[in-house]
Amino acid sequence: MDGDLDRWFIEHILVHEAALQRYLTRCWPHRDEVRDLRQELYTRIYQAAAKARPASPKSFLFSSARHLMADRARHARVVSIVPMGDFEPSHVLVDDVSPERWCGGRETLARLSDAFDRLPDRCREVVWLRRVEELSQKEVAMRLGISEKTVEKHIAKGMRLLADALHADQDDPAAATGVDDEHEHAR
Amino acid sequence: MSTNTPANDPPRDSLAIEREAADWLARRDGEDWRDADQADFVRWLDADAAHHVAYLRLAAAWRQTGRLQALGAGWQGNGPPPRGYWQAPLATRSEQLLQAMAERPAARGPARKPVWVRAIATAAVLMACIGAGAWGWRAYHQVEITTYRTAMGQVEDLPLADGSQATLASNSQVEVRMSRRTRSVRLLQGEAIFAVAKDPGRPFVVDAGTHQAVAVGTRFSVRRDARDLRVVVTEGIVRLESSPGAGAPQPASLLPADSIALVREGGVLVRSVAPGDAQRLLDWREGVLAFRDTPLAEAAAEFNRYNPRKIVIGDADVGALRIGGSFRWDNAQGFAQLLEAGFPVRADYGAERIVLHSR
Repeated sequence: MDGDLDRWFIEHILVHEAALQRYLTRCWPHRDEVRDLRQELYTRIYQAAAKARPASPKSFLFSSARHLMADRARHARVVSIVPMGDFEPSHVLVDDVSPERWCGGRETLARLSDAFDRLPDRCREVVWLRRVEELSQKEVAMRLGISEKTVEKHIAKGMRLLADALHADQDDPAAATGVDDEHEHAR
Repeated sequence: MSTNTPANDPPRDSLAIEREAADWLARRDGEDWRDADQADFVRWLDADAAHHVAYLRLAAAWRQTGRLQALGAGWQGNGPPPRGYWQAPLATRSEQLLQAMAERPAARGPARKPVWVRAIATAAVLMACIGAGAWGWRAYHQVEITTYRTAMGQVEDLPLADGSQATLASNSQVEVRMSRRTRSVRLLQGEAIFAVAKDPGRPFVVDAGTHQAVAVGTRFSVRRDARDLRVVVTEGIVRLESSPGAGAPQPASLLPADSIALVREGGVLVRSVAPGDAQRLLDWREGVLAFRDTPLAEAAAEFNRYNPRKIVIGDADVGALRIGGSFRWDNAQGFAQLLEAGFPVRADYGAERIVLHSR
């Protein structure tokens, strides 16, 4: 693992996820593909940055997003007649997210409490015991009378839901990125 | 799903990768993580940059959720607070907290009782033990008692045994009791700031006579005068309640960050202030007294907490002048000279006091 690259990626790319998510959702007609797009984009950027860090990470991120969507749209022309959105960068509100906003202060706490409150009941309880009361997974299992495996599942799910809410700042993370967990509820 | 993926570069389903990443992260968060798991994990991580990126994203967010602890400060219930707790107005929150505390012993069993139950139980058991001479048991539940005091004009930082930090103001005295079950401080005189180390199982209680302030992990100060008790909270949440055995118990008040509580003649007044204003009241720690639009009589009283050479207000007019600014509390003479230069004030400098008159 390259700790330096990882840190760079978190601090200079992931912080823009909310803006990126809005941009992709606005431009790309298939909502269920936005997560795939985002992941492919992140992968490409991570690989490119391993060779050389872009001077301006944010504009690099958005121009890469534009190219990726244009690529995909070309390949899709045969099967899709849905008009594609406008990929021009002028449509990106480049400054609606700053790194300070992501890691700083009261606003983060408000967002965090909000994201936390939207977790399903059991998941919310497990995350609380693990993160705030700092019980181990084993202790959480004992307290709630469930198996350790189940605790682990709740935690994994909480991680994903909280990541969507925190990174992407979405009003409804489930709808926006397709975390359709109905069929994967941890029992 | 997608029918338009280019055939030469099939990106894997991002949802599947994200789930794998979450599973790894959750497993690493557990206790049964062995070398073999680490090797498998690294293999998975290195297999595809997409894995790496998905993992990073989740790990970064999970780290952020550590800040839930800041939200948890002050909450004493069994498990998480009800949904919407943090959005609710303070009065509602306070009610929910009390409700949760009332329900707690039954829900949680004997392991965690409210502070006062534990305190009484510990005290009762301690007495029984002294009587019976069960020394070994007592050593286990040993309570360390330490007394600290500062002289006039002295401010002292005290690292406490539990990792908390107390800063004692001039002419103040505290008695600190630490045991495996409780952390309690009796403020006997003056004022102290507390930066409380997080320990949900062991609330930090500052007893100031009629009332006590209870925190789990937070930063606040308690100050005790002949007439008033003042609690200033700069981080987290503090619960202010009647001390056990201090007459008729009153309902507890919850004090959020940036609030000031004043207890006078049994009444409790809680005031929310602009961010930073509460902090200003604790500036004495840096050797500075900060005032904003403060009557001179009050400012003089502040100085007098720190200096044996008192500033005396000679007439009502001079006491009513309103002043602002930051001043070193160890330089009362400089303060008086500054007043003479900028206000219609005349000062008589004596060895034991400085008297201010209007001119």
